[in-house]
Amino acid sequence: MTEAGTGNYLDSLMRGQAPLQAASASPLWLKQLRARAVERVASLTLPNTRDEDWRFTDLLPLTQLSWRPVQGAALISPQELERCALPEAAARLVFVDGRYAPQHSFNHAGLTVENLPAGMTAQGAIVEAELARHAEFEHDAFAALNTAFLQDAALIIAPRNAVLEAPVQVLFVSTQQETASYPRCLVIAQEGSELTLVEEFVALHQGAGFSSAVTEMALADNARVRHVRVQNDSTAAFHIASCAVSLAKASRYQAVSVALGARLSRYNLSVLLAEAGAECSIDGLALIGGRQLADSHTLIDHAKPHGISRQLHKCIVDGAAHAVFNGKIMVRPGAQRTDSSQSSRNLLLSGKARVDTKPQLEIFADDVKCAHGATVGQLDADEVFYLRSRGLSDAAARKLLTYAFGAEVIERIAIASLRARLERAVQAQTGEAS
Amino acid sequence: MSSILQNLVNQPYQHGFVTDIEADIAPKGLSEDTIRLISAKKNEPEWLLELRLKAYRHWLKMEEPQWPNVKYPKIDFQAISYYSAPKKKKTLASMDEVDPELLRTFEKLGVPMNERAKLAGVAVDVIFDSVSVATTYKAKLAEVGIIFCSISEAVQEHPELVRKYLGSVVPVGDNYYAALNSAVFTDGSFCFIPKGVKCPMDLSTYFRINTENSGQFERTLIVAEEGASVSYLEGCTAPKFDTNQLHAAVVELIALDNADIKYSTVQNWYAGDENGLGGIFNFVTKRGLCKGVNSRISWTQVETGSAITWKYPSCVLRGDNSVGEFYSVALTNHRQQADTGTKMIHIGKNTRSTIVSKGISAGHSNNSYRGLVRIAPVATGARNYSRCDSMLIGDQCSANTFPYIQVNNPGATVEHEASTSKIGEDQLFYFAQRGVGAEEAVSMIINGFCKDVFQQLPMEFAVEATKLLGLKLEGSVG
Repeated sequence: MTEAGTGNYLDSLMRGQAPLQAASASPLWLKQLRARAVERVASLTLPNTRDEDWRFTDLLPLTQLSWRPVQGAALISPQELERCALPEAAARLVFVDGRYAPQHSFNHAGLTVENLPAGMTAQGAIVEAELARHAEFEHDAFAALNTAFLQDAALIIAPRNAVLEAPVQVLFVSTQQETASYPRCLVIAQEGSELTLVEEFVALHQGAGFSSAVTEMALADNARVRHVRVQNDSTAAFHIASCAVSLAKASRYQAVSVALGARLSRYNLSVLLAEAGAECSIDGLALIGGRQLADSHTLIDHAKPHGISRQLHKCIVDGAAHAVFNGKIMVRPGAQRTDSSQSSRNLLLSGKARVDTKPQLEIFADDVKCAHGATVGQLDADEVFYLRSRGLSDAAARKLLTYAFGAEVIERIAIASLRARLERAVQAQTGEAS
Repeated sequence: MSSILQNLVNQPYQHGFVTDIEADIAPKGLSEDTIRLISAKKNEPEWLLELRLKAYRHWLKMEEPQWPNVKYPKIDFQAISYYSAPKKKKTLASMDEVDPELLRTFEKLGVPMNERAKLAGVAVDVIFDSVSVATTYKAKLAEVGIIFCSISEAVQEHPELVRKYLGSVVPVGDNYYAALNSAVFTDGSFCFIPKGVKCPMDLSTYFRINTENSGQFERTLIVAEEGASVSYLEGCTAPKFDTNQLHAAVVELIALDNADIKYSTVQNWYAGDENGLGGIFNFVTKRGLCKGVNSRISWTQVETGSAITWKYPSCVLRGDNSVGEFYSVALTNHRQQADTGTKMIHIGKNTRSTIVSKGISAGHSNNSYRGLVRIAPVATGARNYSRCDSMLIGDQCSANTFPYIQVNNPGATVEHEASTSKIGEDQLFYFAQRGVGAEEAVSMIINGFCKDVFQQLPMEFAVEATKLLGLKLEGSVG
């Protein structure tokens, strides 16, 4: 791909895909939505490092690759499914290479947990009111791409006052190398409802791939959503995702996102506290090594008074990996009594590891409490010494301390089997480190 | 209550007057001819003209930066006069020969230089518009080998030193406004502390913009040789004008092995009126290079004036074990905008830096902290601590922080903390209960908030800064 081609790269992504099947069955508004997104893709260009939002994440390697359309049926073996299935789940949706796999999916949840085209027949009006209303694609080329290819998608609707303790799992599996996929998820939590969503992105191959995911959540008054996101893509893959959450009065959003895989991953999380008294806590952990790059951009937008936000973002960076964090907290005029705190903690394990972090506050109201902090460093020599004095080897002491560093975020996940699985992943990674 | 706070911020600018002195003004506009004119007027050597022209050609190719969090009308660089000098008299033998009108100006500013300088033990190199008018205490400093003079004088008398160091920290093409400054700078201060000398007194310069529509392009160069140390003070005031005035200064500091430079600023230029009309655009490049081992550069600034303040006094910590410090108080009121902070570039081993920034915004103002801490891959054992606190007075203002932290070395430890607060009603109630009025209470709370920074200022400046913040926020209690 030539230099001039970076602008046209989006076009090549558009052309490289098979035309949407059964798209003609979509309602008119959805067709119009897609058409608008296609239009936006045509006029947008791929961001480069001169854009402030992409300063540290160079997409040039992406532009040198091209992707082929997905071939064959969307199927995975039961053993493969077993590896990432949650035994606690009350419902599960599986998408293989971007396409819905009904044979792997089930729903005992008592809520709408369906593929989007099926769900729309009964809930069309509700979906129309929320779909693509939260994740804007006017200026975001990747969200526009996703919307342009919008067909199969996870749709979860919790009706008024429905409370579901067990998690709903949405699994996006990549089985074919060198393909592009556009995972999409829409969660609508109506007044007083409560649910837990586990989104997982896994690859069953070690090859390259490209995915551009979009998740949208609309929480009505007093709704509560717990959201766990695990990105475990192939270490040769490009994973670019955004999640837009909108919070109504006194609703609560709790998120934990864990980035383990991908050669280059980018996660944009934006939470809008659109009405008074909303609350969010968003935590993140990036555990990377080799030549991986994990970039996390978050925006917590306090638009109305009495909002509370908490954020803890941790990065464990080994090898020649590069972690990027940009956390913006915006307090709009009139959003008085906002209480916000944010902390970015980074652990560098090797001489070539690199961290760029930028916690950012923009405050336009005076009666607020906002604080942020950032640290970058290595394992504390005193702590290592203490453990060694108790008979642990240097390697074991470092492994234990690194594990403990990451465990602080993982512990916030309420699902036991997932927590155990992630803890093993952290141990495996830190095991290699020592 | 809030009406009290609102009223507290309406102190008219006290130094707003124009001194009527005949100025020798170059025609408006910028071209190579203007630069040749400036250079010829100042009787400069060929190499300096070359440097100016190189900077100018570079500048022509550059674009005005858009990234700062400030808004202002486009500057017409052709509508500025790039040279203005008070009519030259013959060399002055004593203070009596200084234009009495000029002396009165300083009187109004509260700078009776002939007395106060002696009393305070301060050598004052007065910059009145762009040409240095009088220099005191020069002889006393010369005894220990310190050179302290205007930069044009230094160009004539110590060209080898100026040539060696000028542009070595801020290259001519560094940024848009630094390039402009390098092309057209008219005057400024030069200070050279030779090997092993501890400067016996604090050095200070009073900058003052006078002629309407003349941009000021000051250039300051301070060099501390091995083991030398100096404390340099800079204070600014300017008269009231309606058209915006551009000020694009460049300050370069160089510290060799074991040298120590402390640079303090109190900036109180005209900030424009309550509606944001007029005021100075203060687009400054300040950078210090800790070139030698164990060297130290410390910036302390109290920024209360200017319509727009846009500056990042920075430290490049190249020498092993070198130390960089940045202490700042930035106060904005009415429609003022400030985008200020620092850059700490750690290159040497075991380099340390401290950043303490306090931002106070009132009225409709916008106050941003923007900082960069970069740890290079070779900077093993580097350490940074940053703390930036904001205080908001009123709900129409804003406070932002943009800290960039870039770490490329696992042996480094970087910490950053920031908080935002306001003056609590219960705090004011507590003061009222003890018989302290709201105005005084606010002043005390603000002084407490800024204490960490004020402690770093030299004694006289600490007093002045405390008064200045009080003045800035003072007004009728309603």
